Amino acid sequence: MPNTSRFWIVLAAALALGALAPPDAGAQTKLVVGNAGGSSADAERKVFYGPFANANKITIQEESFNQELAKIRSQVETGNLIWDMVSTTAINVATGCEEGLLEKVDWSKYFDPKVFRDVGGVSECGVPYLFVSGGLAYDGNRIKEGPKSWADFWNVTKWPGKRGLLYRAEQTFEVALMADGVPPAKAMEVLAAPGGPDRALKKLDELKPLIHWWKNGAESINLLASGEVAMAYAWNGRVASANKTNNLNLKMELGAGHVSGCQYWAIMKGSKNKELAIKFIQYAVTAQNQADFVRVISYGPANRDAYALLTDQEKATLPGQHLDKASLQLGKLYLGFWLANGDSLLQRFVKFAAQ
Amino acid sequence: MLALVAPSVLFIALFFVAPLGLFLFRSIDNSEVPGWLPRTTAALAGWSGEGLPDEPAFRAVAEDLAALSGSTALPLLGRRLNHNIPGFRGLITGTGSRVDLSRPGRMREQLIALDARWGEPLYWQTIRRERHVVTPFYLLSALDLRYGASGAIERAPAESAIFLGLLGRTLAISLIVTGLCVLLGFPLAITMAGASPARANALLILVLIPFWTSLLVRSTAWVILLQNSGVVNQLLVGFGLVQKPIPLIFNRVGLYIAMVHVLLPFMVLPLYSVLKNIPPELMRAAASLGAPPATAFLRVYVPQALPGLVAGASLVFVLALGYYVTPALVGGPGDQMIGYFIAYFTNTAVNWGMASALGTLLLLVVALIYLALGRVVGLNRLAVR
Repeated sequence: MPNTSRFWIVLAAALALGALAPPDAGAQTKLVVGNAGGSSADAERKVFYGPFANANKITIQEESFNQELAKIRSQVETGNLIWDMVSTTAINVATGCEEGLLEKVDWSKYFDPKVFRDVGGVSECGVPYLFVSGGLAYDGNRIKEGPKSWADFWNVTKWPGKRGLLYRAEQTFEVALMADGVPPAKAMEVLAAPGGPDRALKKLDELKPLIHWWKNGAESINLLASGEVAMAYAWNGRVASANKTNNLNLKMELGAGHVSGCQYWAIMKGSKNKELAIKFIQYAVTAQNQADFVRVISYGPANRDAYALLTDQEKATLPGQHLDKASLQLGKLYLGFWLANGDSLLQRFVKFAAQ
Repeated sequence: MLALVAPSVLFIALFFVAPLGLFLFRSIDNSEVPGWLPRTTAALAGWSGEGLPDEPAFRAVAEDLAALSGSTALPLLGRRLNHNIPGFRGLITGTGSRVDLSRPGRMREQLIALDARWGEPLYWQTIRRERHVVTPFYLLSALDLRYGASGAIERAPAESAIFLGLLGRTLAISLIVTGLCVLLGFPLAITMAGASPARANALLILVLIPFWTSLLVRSTAWVILLQNSGVVNQLLVGFGLVQKPIPLIFNRVGLYIAMVHVLLPFMVLPLYSVLKNIPPELMRAAASLGAPPATAFLRVYVPQALPGLVAGASLVFVLALGYYVTPALVGGPGDQMIGYFIAYFTNTAVNWGMASALGTLLLLVVALIYLALGRVVGLNRLAVR
């Protein structure tokens, strides 16, 4: 934000006016965003949606989106757009871009794309806005001697109880390979080699009777908090904010290996609010707003300039120091593999889970 | 007479029979492929299916796809063919947007250079097989069958052959739920039929309260009650009946509990209306003629209750077959019924042909069961008086 202090005055004024005058929802433009819900949507609302909507006299409506690409496809293909933009994964951005489901934008007109280079850069169809690590999580109050590896996660004799895993092929297959002894940095390589998916499914099959599949991030936290599962794959920001707001003692063992990558903003192809959506994205990825976002939910910023605004204590909440233990959701191998095999592996996975 | 019936007949025809027929037709509808690939399907009609087709077929597919380029038809066609072979979608959209018709030279080389999959017979064979306006593809898939490389129908590989097993699971769960409903509902209905009007009314209200509550609320209420840290498990552990919480939810046990709770009124209500009309004198007459209570119950009471039992049981069974919200909320992944996949194909995979084929399969099974029941028991005997 070039003119930060003035922005805050305007925002304060807008908030004050908003408190006095009843909102005139009927006349306002509505920007509809598909997002992942739960505490990450709460953080987005606090830092991005709320201030942006107030400053621009619009409303932002949120819809639940668990990253099913088919939901984007069916809206764009039938010309029946419900959403204007989505918060989505790297692989959905890549697939959606190739299939013409997302708007292509020359982002360099709006900000300097170089600041995103550390996390893989912008795509013409999407801009990264947070860096998330999915890893092994458990309740520190229930398990004193915590698991150290994904093999421990599979060890149900030493740590009895159910296990929560993400109901998707992507991420879950990588984790299964780590449990099978593959070093995290090699997980994608093994998965993309012949027989990789078979090996992942075989490993999942070992644990299958005890797996509780979760579909959205909030579920993973509920499962851990209620003790329904002993351990779960969970995203670091969700875990941190659950500990903060619900006074839980959830632990994450990122040393076991984790799947890390960015979440992106992307604009649905044919959205009538394309310009507004671009303006929103421009707003949400400024260093200041990225730093504010980190303070709320502990996801890493995508804009590297945000680090300069964070204190050492705030930086310590981020999982950056474990990147040697990451299977990264970026790069040619990762994108190429999931682009070519995402559909068929998802179908295989869904059938596997139901058998 | 006709004027009185006409509105309801018209209503049913318009809002039930017609949409149902249209939806069932989707299980064989294949108009997209010949509609969007007219030149290709014509060119492939004369092809033997061996090896790769000739240059005209390559030219035809290039012209068809180039004509669709830029319109929404191209990705839709890709999605349609993706149902047959996952990944076909990318082949169609990629080729359509990049093919250059004006470039000299053979189209065969250009297409294979664009995407090596055009050099694989499998993709050509699939288009050739799907060249008609109707297709058996979805119905075959619903029966775990597929076309093999030779063109003969064969069993799908084990990892994707899940629908027959799922159908079996659906039938088993529905049967057990029906059995449990009979076990719980029959004594309740007998008690209600024999009670004073005031008490019968009170019992009726107890049965009806869950009936009036939203299905979603009832199902999630069970999650709260039965989870590991839920009330039931806390009581069990607190009284020392079990050492640690027993899994009661997100498994088959939880599914049975929730489904029986939801479906019990459908058993009790028809049964009660039949039992209420059984004259109590008949049981006394049986006793006075020397029948012991068990014999009197089995030979005098049960035959008269049978219409109510069968009506209630078939209602519960048929409703249970189509369940998907409750299993999705309280069952584990191994407890999902066929409705789960119908919803999956409708909402998530957006494969309506497959959703319709599974729906057709379920409808046929229900029809068969109804016919068999009619054969064995005799439908006219079951008429509720």
